[in-house]
Amino acid sequence: MTELSLQKIEAIAPDQASLQAARKLMKPGIWSGLSTASAGLVWGECQGSGAAPYRVVISEPDSGYKCTCPSRKFPCKHSLALMWMRVEGKAAFADAAPPAWVQDWLRRRRPAAKSDAGDEAADESAPRPAKNIALTASEEAATVDPISEARAAAARERSRLERESSVTAGMDDLDQWLTDQIDMGIAAFAANPGKACRLIAQRLVDAKAGGLANRLDELPGYLYTLPDAMRPVAAIKELGQLHLLAEAWRRQDSLDPELRADLRREIGWSLTREALLDDRSALRTTGTWRIFATIEEAQQDRLRRFETWMWRESPGDGPRFAVLIDFVPLAAGGARNPWLKGERLEATLVFYPSPLALRAIIGNMEGSAQACHQEMQLPDSGLEAAWASWESALALKPWLRVWPLQFRGTQVRRSGQQYYLCSTQTAIALPILRPQAEMVAPLLCVERVDGFALWDGSWIRMCLGQTQLGFWGMP
Amino acid sequence: MPILLGGTRRQPLPDLALSPAEEPARALHVLSLVGQALRFERPPAPAQFTVEHWPRDERRLLPPNLRGKLVDLLYSRKCADASERILAWTFARTRLRPHPFDFPSIREFVRKYAQHLGVAAQHWAQRDTPAERRNEYFDAEEISAKNWTEAPRAGRLRFLEDMRQHDPAAARELLASAWGREEPETRLRLLAALQTGLTEADREFLKTLDKDRAPRVRMLAQRLLAKLPGASGENPALRSCLSRIQKLQKGKLRRSVALKLELPANVKEQAASRWIQEQFEGVCLEELANALEISADDMPSAAKEDPNLLFALALMASREKHFALLESITHLLPDAWGRMSAVDDEEPSFSDAAERQEWARALVHPAQWNPEVPYPAWDWLLRRLEGPLPQPVMDELLRSKWWSEQAASDPPPRPEVIQVICALCPPQPRGQLRGQVEALAPESNLEGLLLLDILERLESFA
Repeated sequence: MTELSLQKIEAIAPDQASLQAARKLMKPGIWSGLSTASAGLVWGECQGSGAAPYRVVISEPDSGYKCTCPSRKFPCKHSLALMWMRVEGKAAFADAAPPAWVQDWLRRRRPAAKSDAGDEAADESAPRPAKNIALTASEEAATVDPISEARAAAARERSRLERESSVTAGMDDLDQWLTDQIDMGIAAFAANPGKACRLIAQRLVDAKAGGLANRLDELPGYLYTLPDAMRPVAAIKELGQLHLLAEAWRRQDSLDPELRADLRREIGWSLTREALLDDRSALRTTGTWRIFATIEEAQQDRLRRFETWMWRESPGDGPRFAVLIDFVPLAAGGARNPWLKGERLEATLVFYPSPLALRAIIGNMEGSAQACHQEMQLPDSGLEAAWASWESALALKPWLRVWPLQFRGTQVRRSGQQYYLCSTQTAIALPILRPQAEMVAPLLCVERVDGFALWDGSWIRMCLGQTQLGFWGMP
Repeated sequence: MPILLGGTRRQPLPDLALSPAEEPARALHVLSLVGQALRFERPPAPAQFTVEHWPRDERRLLPPNLRGKLVDLLYSRKCADASERILAWTFARTRLRPHPFDFPSIREFVRKYAQHLGVAAQHWAQRDTPAERRNEYFDAEEISAKNWTEAPRAGRLRFLEDMRQHDPAAARELLASAWGREEPETRLRLLAALQTGLTEADREFLKTLDKDRAPRVRMLAQRLLAKLPGASGENPALRSCLSRIQKLQKGKLRRSVALKLELPANVKEQAASRWIQEQFEGVCLEELANALEISADDMPSAAKEDPNLLFALALMASREKHFALLESITHLLPDAWGRMSAVDDEEPSFSDAAERQEWARALVHPAQWNPEVPYPAWDWLLRRLEGPLPQPVMDELLRSKWWSEQAASDPPPRPEVIQVICALCPPQPRGQLRGQVEALAPESNLEGLLLLDILERLESFA
């Protein structure tokens, strides 16, 4: 049935480098859910460098394709790799019904487009560089020169030491800046945080402490979402954390390894996916995971951040919650979080080292994530227990920003224009994020809500609710 | 904390046992400790919560697997008014309701059509309205003579028409008791209900309307009076019409009557329909026929050469629910309904769905004519029918040359045209229509297919 061929793949590949990159992805081990349906639909999920696999679908009859990766090349290496594996029969494709994300693509695509990659149009007039699949085999695995490798390692170590020193200097500047704010009064800072934060954020970027710089860039926007009366106290909480991080940085050698690793990531040191997977001591938890929140935010550093929050449905030891975090350039335009709330997946998650295992990547997945509308069997713990979990988490990781809460037996109530998530048993009432007011208002008509939310120290973000009327917050 | 907020330049921090002795380390230490302590503090609960009064809604919720489709359709930029309308009526007819958790996503739909969607939707639509200006919540089956004035207008009209069928005097008294407080448009609509079961007993009330502030109300009252036995016959509107109608004798061997309507010189062709509608509003068929000394049944053939007069006759026949006559007119003037849609004619008010269907069968002949600008005309028809076309009419439409041309056109039909045709389709031919719509381009057919899916599932679930 397939009308794809190696010649066709060569013809549509944007350049030789894409073919080269695609060849490296032709390992069935990094693909999951490889499937096919009638009418020449083929799809699968490919683990890339992000926390979550990319979803790739191709249409054999007309060489259509779609991938959720942020690449600006069309077709991307994932699409090419999938076509290539299909043509060469290098992987097994199961017969299956197209999942929701494939059907969504089918519904939206224009028929028989030259390029099926959204807004990009192929420039027919530009000379196209020669591409040859055969050449990709000969360019594989260049031999390693030990001397060059040693020089590179030494350079990396010098660079690391320079960066450590730079960050330390940045922390000193941060403390000086904090001292100035204390001197003038936090209330004055909270009234006009923008310019002050921008300057110190820039300094921290220069000091290669990008994680802290992001915190400072986001701080004014966060304060402006709060009522005037709440801003000074919120500012004390946020600025207090900044000094805490700076001081922890200075004392990092005396910290537990996991706390130290978490601290360094918070400051801006990154741990690559490959390094995490190679770390045999990294915590791994296998189970059935349900996605209860997907969040997308544009950051000041021109990156779009995708958060996918999950809860482990299956019993057993290990963390109950996980968050996958991916970043794509804002310039990638229409990139979307490939996951949908409510989806269920069978996966092994690998957690970043931390005293509080939360951020993770997908080590491997069985099959694809499936849409699921079954009710979850939630533990019988209420909002008090959820609050206690926040307190425990904060004690373990003092700079924790957001914590997931799972609860049963709560109610949404209103006082004036402010909505609250309230326990039906005790007096605890947590204020709900104001932009969510209209979305949560219908929950006033049910007597009980079980579900999930995120707490950021000031507000509850309601994520998913199970009620007598069915799910709230499910797409 | 006050010192942190006000600034240490105004007041230094006190000595604290756990903090460093020197500045600035001490201030920073205190900042972190205070900040962290605040993060462990539970936010205070408000002193009191608002007591919510969500009404109990007896209707069933729509099937869970339809929620996403409904939101997808209503949230789409290409969702047409026709789709919203047919969905609202279908919810009302099947006694189902949208899920309240979806109200924020479909807020405009809920706001516009709350009276069809159940009491929970009505509560939601009014939640930002001050309590003193809110309407009572109503579901159609709950209207009675006691709460009639609080109900939405459409419900009140139906209640009154029903009441006229078994107790016309009580219906008239109910109307009369509320008359003085009603808006002109409402008075006009409700007065039309007196056409049902019109008797001599209504005369007194109708005569009082001679002084009504609204001209159209006065004209309707006069028309109703003219139908009563012993009417004086003096109808200024009739006189005016007669002055514009020429009656000619044609043929040499077999003399036949020909009627011709002369438009005023200052009425252009594009304004003719509106002028005709206004001119003939106060005239009924029987009195016109009597005045012309020709039977009402013979008037269409006498006017067959004059589209404008045929249109006037169509308006009157439609208004008076003279469906057999209407059908004979529209076979001579198949674009009559197109002209009615252009003037947005709102007559007659129908008693029930069966009457609407009969009217449509008499009025619409897709094999003979279809509108050049399809959406406004078909949408008008949908609004008048408050539901799908009769099946024979729909079958004719799907076989028509116009529809075949639409399906084959390049570019494809606009999405709103597909949606209004889907909205007008009764259950039986939907399968055939679906097959034709599926063959169209996705940018044209997506919303139409969603609409068909939802309608079918709502009706089968009810």
